[in-house]
This record gives sequence, structure tokens and C-alpha cells, in this order.
Amino acid sequence: MPRAARDFLRVGVPVVLLFALLPLFYQNELLLFNFVLFLILTQGLNAVYGFTGYLPFGYVGFFGAGAYGFALAVMHLAAPPLLALLLAGLAGVVLGLILTPLLRLSGAYFAIANLAAAQMVYQIIANPALADITKGPYGVSLASVFAPRASYAVALVILAFVLGLVAWLRHGRFGLALQAMRDDPVSAAMAGIPVLRGRVVAWLLSALIAGLAGGVFAWHISVFYPETAFDISISIFAIVFTLFGGAATLTGPIAGVLVLYGLYNVIGISVPQYFQLIYGALIVGLVLFLPRGFASLLSRRGIDVP
Amino acid sequence: MNQGRRRGFLNALLMLLITLAIASPIAAGAEGAAPAEIKIGHLHAASGPYASISMPVYDTLKLWVDQQNAAGGAFVKAFNKKIPLKLISYDDQSNPGTAAILINQLITQDKVDLLVCDSGSVLTAVAVPIAREHKMFLFDPTGTGAAFFSKDNPYIALLADPVSTVWPRYLWEFLKSDAAALGLKRVAILYATNDFTGTQASAIRAALKEAGSPSEIVFDQGVPTSTSNYSVLIDNIAATNPDIVLELGYVGNDIAFLRNLQDQDHKFKAVFTLYPGIETNVLMKNVGAQGLAGVFTYVTALGLTLKPEIGMTVEELRAAFEKAYGGGGVEFGWNAIAGHVTGLVIGETLAHADSLSQADLRQAVFGLSGKLKTLVGTFELREDGAQIGELTPIGQFGPDGKLAVVYPHEFATAKPKINAP
Repeated sequence: MPRAARDFLRVGVPVVLLFALLPLFYQNELLLFNFVLFLILTQGLNAVYGFTGYLPFGYVGFFGAGAYGFALAVMHLAAPPLLALLLAGLAGVVLGLILTPLLRLSGAYFAIANLAAAQMVYQIIANPALADITKGPYGVSLASVFAPRASYAVALVILAFVLGLVAWLRHGRFGLALQAMRDDPVSAAMAGIPVLRGRVVAWLLSALIAGLAGGVFAWHISVFYPETAFDISISIFAIVFTLFGGAATLTGPIAGVLVLYGLYNVIGISVPQYFQLIYGALIVGLVLFLPRGFASLLSRRGIDVP
Repeated sequence: MNQGRRRGFLNALLMLLITLAIASPIAAGAEGAAPAEIKIGHLHAASGPYASISMPVYDTLKLWVDQQNAAGGAFVKAFNKKIPLKLISYDDQSNPGTAAILINQLITQDKVDLLVCDSGSVLTAVAVPIAREHKMFLFDPTGTGAAFFSKDNPYIALLADPVSTVWPRYLWEFLKSDAAALGLKRVAILYATNDFTGTQASAIRAALKEAGSPSEIVFDQGVPTSTSNYSVLIDNIAATNPDIVLELGYVGNDIAFLRNLQDQDHKFKAVFTLYPGIETNVLMKNVGAQGLAGVFTYVTALGLTLKPEIGMTVEELRAAFEKAYGGGGVEFGWNAIAGHVTGLVIGETLAHADSLSQADLRQAVFGLSGKLKTLVGTFELREDGAQIGELTPIGQFGPDGKLAVVYPHEFATAKPKINAP
């Protein structure tokens, strides 16, 4: 059995099954949906950061573009939800294409430029002059397609697709080429790997995933404002969860979401006043003492982390 | 024959079983014991951009619950006795995503009897579809966005604020009559782009553009609600030479605008802002009586002497608030009153509902429409749940910091003056 398929069966399938079954035992479905959403987003971020080294702080821009792509398709084209969802993914990809020149930058410059680009998209969407098209800052209501159960099920399908994709990236020829580019782009180019094309494909795949996540979010929540869809904390959470578990692995971001987002909800609900303190201290500790995430603890000991 | 009788007997048995199956939950509900407590689920924002409007609502709602419990609980008609109230309120930190999860938490995990959302339209927006999905009636204290209210959603009622479209009614009437007579005809509109103020700007714009209107709009611009510096905008407005400037924003916007206005050379003949009459204490502390002198604003219950038929007067509530929370950092203002009104409506709902089912709670709330007179005026609901009963007259601050009603004439305690702040 190919290693990608084995990893997907060992890690991806149990995670999808777990979240498919949890609503039978736990009724706060929106909380479970948010877990699924962050599982998708962290793997989308993993596709670009873990495999190319580009850390997009403005990742939420693709998510917001997807949410508004879905909303515009429903409001103006009367598109059925599944078609609107495809258009949401397309919106993410189109934005990714527009922002492709950012890949000429690297490190902090790329992160900052990407963050600025996300803010730019937000300001365009929230512009009152475009209220007839986007509803501007007044928010959209998609009550006509509101279907929490169906959208939850579709989110699980997207999660399965994304986990399968990342498993393939880890072991497939293309993913290995990306990792070679990430570690040493000059050597990779000299070995005949098309560096630019590889980065652009990973970038667009990542944008597609965030666009789909934004679309299914819009479908699930149905009433939202630009500041909800472009909330910078979505980017920050996705980055922190990925860093916590360990990028370029399938398991790392999953562990990051389950542990940190679980912690966030336990602390956030019971003792919100301590949340920022505990969460902040945890992040500082991790960055200082475990910069490659918890997955590195195992891989250092020769344990294969899927 | 035997076969026919057996079939008839089986049919009768089946009918009996179906009847019992349908009737048993009804009977159980009717004869069920009274709960030990009535659970009220609520969200508040202790931090973030909506804390200033959310915390006063939370504080006075909590105060009302404490007062009820001190008297043995709220009277619940469904059980013909007083039952203690339990307020379960989570902090959503002004984050809509967190608010959505917590609303779900209240419904699905805490299984609250009554559901009250957080303040303001952004945090209310996420609660509306969730409450509807779970068929929970949403007690909405101050989320005034017009989009929340539709005839096909029976699961919401706006309790303490008039819906956004109702707020500016007297304002545009004033602009087209008394203000125009004073020569205030060139109008500049500067508004924060959110549901609350954007809707008002649209309504004012439409009214002033009607045929025969003496007013002319010379400046009309929306700015993000996060705007905290109005210096350049004030310059831009001054360049259009308006007679009256309408600045429509949240508390922070109004403070920033009025402070910037004090710091600059431009003096407009007249200025209207929203919050000096809504959160007077906060504005007075941050802008001062001098900065508010001459400013036109809405007059809420804070500036009116309405006699309630139920609950406390404004001064009684202010005293109770100061005693309970004085010095705690939360100022007494309109939102504190809104929290009290929310409590009163909940209390009257429990006192009139035939059961704690959401349908009966809704029926009881709508049954109060037009009959309940609180410190903010008449509680009156439109068919879609929007609040339309309260009044928002126009007032003007004097040099001594006192607010007088100038429009409509039946409530007026002073005449409007052109008095640049």
C-alpha cells in the first residue's frame, strides 16, 4: 500500500469518522464544526507553509474571499449551496492568482505583504459604496440556504479531501519536490525541479482549501459581517495550531487543533479572564523550547510521525 | 367474521396506543413538577469593542435577577408559584465566532429556559439563525439591525431599543421643520458603517431627498466604525460649508469626533451626535460639558421623566446601579436601562406564559405589546418582533451640560438654538 494511502487510513479516516460520530454524543454542533473548520484551515496552511516555507499571516484573506464568494453566488446567482461552494473555492484560487507576485518576497516581508493584501480585500468587501453587491459593512444573511447539518457533512467531505491531499504531499513526488525547494531552492532548481511552478501550485492549493473552508463557514453560519469573515484571529489560530503540532506532517496540525482549540474552548467558556494569559504563556514556551512543534519530539527519537 | 373482529380490535388497539403516545408528553408536561430554578441564558462582552454597550446591560440584568431572587424568585404562571432565577452568562469577548459557539452552548448543553443574546447588532447577528434553528425564542435587548426581523422568523423580539429605522424619525422631521426655519438647511452626514448607524443614515438621507424638502445634503460619507481620528474628515466637511453636521456613530466615534472638533478651528452652526443623550455619563467624562454645549442629540429615558407602570424609575435604577456597581468602571446610561427593561420583559413573560414552551413564551411576549409601560415608554412590537413603541425625541445640551428636549413640540422643554459647540 502506498505510504500516502497508509497515512490517510491511519490518521485521516479516524479523524473524519470521529467528527462524523461526535454529533451523536455532543449537541453543540457549532463547536464541532469550528473544530472541523480549523482542521481544514491548518492543513491548508500546512500545504503552503509546511511544504514551501512561506508563512501567510493573511491566510484569512482567502477564507474571507471564499465566504463572500459563497454569499455572492447565493445572493446574486441564486446558486444552490454546492455550486456556491465550488465558486467559493474558485474565489480563493482567483485571489491566490492575483497575489501570486507576493511569492517573489520571502520571510517576514512575505508575511507582512500577505497580511496587508488580506486587509485590502477586507476593505474592498466592507466598502459601503459596494453595498449593493457585497452588502458592504452591513453583513450578509443567507437564511434561504441555512442548513447546519448538510453544511457540517460537506465540511467533513472537504476535511477528508484535504487530509488526503496533505498525505499525498508528504509522500508523493510533487510534495517531495516542494520539500526539497523549501530546504534549498537553489539546489532543487539545479536538480531540475521547477521551483516557481511548484510554489505557485502549492500556493493555489492552499488558497483553494481556505476558499472552500470560507464557503462552508458562510453556509453553516449564514449571517455574518466582513469583520467576522476576515477576523485576523482566524489566521493566528491556524498558524499557532500548525506550529504547535508541527508543520509538514499530517498529525501535527490535527494535534494542534485538538489540544489548543480544545483548551481555548474549555478556558474560554469557564475562566475567560485567564485564557489569554495561559494561552500566551503556552505559545511563548513552545516557540522558545519546541519551535518545530510536538511532532519533532517524536521524530527526534526516530519515531515516524505521519 | 372472526378475522374482521380481530382486525377491528387491532385497529382500536393501535388507535389507543397512538393516542397514548401523543397524549403522554402533553400530560407529563401539564402535570410536571415545577423546576427548582428558571435558567436564563445570556452572553456579555467583558472586553473588546462591544464591552462598553454590553456590560451595562449585563450588570442591570444581573441586578434584576438578584432582586427577584431576594424576593423569592419570579412568579411563573405555568406553575402558579415563585421560582428562583439562575442567570448563566458567558463572556464572548466581543468575538462573533465565540458568541455563536456560546449561544449553542446555552441551548444544547445548559438547556436554558430563556435565551438572551448579547448587545449590538454584530453579536446579535450570529445568535439569530442559531436560535431559529433550535426553535428557541430569542430575547434581543439591543440588536436593532433591520435584517434580523422578518415575518417568517417568529423566534425573536427586540426588547429595549427601537429598531434602527425608528430611531431617526424625529430627527429628520426636526431637520425639515424647526432646523430649516433656523436656517440649518445645508446638512452634512458622517456615519459609521454599521447596521445601527448606517440604517439611520439611509433613512435620514431618503427623508431629506424627498420632494419639497427644504434641506440639502452637502456631504454624505460613511467611515469604518473603528475610526478614531476625525480631523481630516472635519476639514473635508468644513470645505462643503454645511449648516448642521450629523455625526452618527458608536460611543467611541462620538467621543473622537467631538474631541477633534474642540481641537480644531472649524465651528459649525450646529452639530448632532448620537451618544451624548444615550450614554451621557461617558460622554460628559470624556468630552466635558463645554464640548457638549449646543450639541443636538437623541433624548432617551435618561432625559425624559416617564412614569413607569412596572419596575423602577430612572433615578431609582441609577441609585440601585451605583449601590451595586459604583466605581466598577461601568457607567450608568441607556444600555444599563436596556438591561433593566430586558429583565422586566422576562419577568412579565414568565408571569403570563401558560407554559415554558418557546411558543408560549413568544405568545406571552407579544401579548405584552402595547400594554407594558416601563421607564423607557411603551413596549410595542411589530408583527416581525421589531420594537417600535419607544420614543427618541431630539434634545440639545445647554452650556451647563443639561439636556433639554427641543423636538417634538409636545415634549419640548426648550427651543433649539444655533450654538456652535
